[in-house]
Amino acid sequence: MQTKDEILEQIKVSLAGLFELDPAQITLAARLNEDLEIDSIDAVDLLDGLRRQTGRKISAEDFRSVRTVGDLVEAIYKLVQA
Amino acid sequence: MEQRETYLWRIFATGACFTLFGLGGLSLGLFVFPAMMLLPGGPVRRRARMRSLVQRALRLFVRISNGVRVISYEFRGSERLGRPGQLIIANHPSLLDVVFIVAFTPAPCCIVKSAMFRNPFTRRVVRAAGYISNSPTDEMIHGAAAALRSGDSLVMFPEGTRTRPGRPLQFHRGAASVAVHAAEVLTPVYVRCEPLLLPKFVPWYRVPPRRPHFTLEVGQDIDLAAYRGLPPPKASRLLNAWLQAHFTERLGTSGGYNAASGS
Repeated sequence: MQTKDEILEQIKVSLAGLFELDPAQITLAARLNEDLEIDSIDAVDLLDGLRRQTGRKISAEDFRSVRTVGDLVEAIYKLVQA
Repeated sequence: MEQRETYLWRIFATGACFTLFGLGGLSLGLFVFPAMMLLPGGPVRRRARMRSLVQRALRLFVRISNGVRVISYEFRGSERLGRPGQLIIANHPSLLDVVFIVAFTPAPCCIVKSAMFRNPFTRRVVRAAGYISNSPTDEMIHGAAAALRSGDSLVMFPEGTRTRPGRPLQFHRGAASVAVHAAEVLTPVYVRCEPLLLPKFVPWYRVPPRRPHFTLEVGQDIDLAAYRGLPPPKASRLLNAWLQAHFTERLGTSGGYNAASGS
């Protein structure tokens, strides 16, 4: 079972790799769109990456309300709990 | 300067062409499509027949519009359209661009406005033909990539909507993203229309002072090798910027039509 901290670390690695971001920018409060410039097209690549990493079926529906990195951690935490 | 009767004729003929287009879509959806559903074969063959029907219908529509002198056109290099896994991207000055490209590409897949899946005139046809809705974004990208991987050719307009007259071209990243993920071949089509017909924000009956002439030119395939090894978000940003600059250079800053000749 992954803790939220582990999930955050995993997200930092994938975001930094995909979008060439400085890991220090990737905080729980960071807004994906406004602060990290991740748009709806990037979100498709991000979810594809998460599907590969977690090996789970992730539906885009579960992520419609995600706005911040913190929301993303919560959404993934819920999925791995389920 | 053209005679007044000719001008009035073009207004009438333009309206008639619109009506023909709407009635054509409706009758394909209401009568021809249900009849085709009765033919043998699974959804794949049915879809291929529907696309071929759409193509013939649009080609006929182009011939009629040309014949009644609403427009004139030339299409250079159309024999290079319709290869397996080919992503065709074009600028979008006029409503007729997609009509031309689909009419001259063998059985392509298209991305269409989600509204066309609700419009009673078009929805049966776009469903049966297996076209892809432009929203939500994730379904569009996955649908487009799947179509290309299955060997379809696919038409996309990176501007997402018609060019705003007088504004520089503004490409969105969706088409570039689909290209780096799934295109076997990426081929540009440069569309020019002088004077402009059916741009955004102009009612249909305000026909241009001269008969509009469309020039569609199929460009050289764009080499994607340099983008393949990069993470997709970076690759699609770089490719999109390159494509926008490339189309702007090919078309001039006016984005597919000559503003001076339109006034």
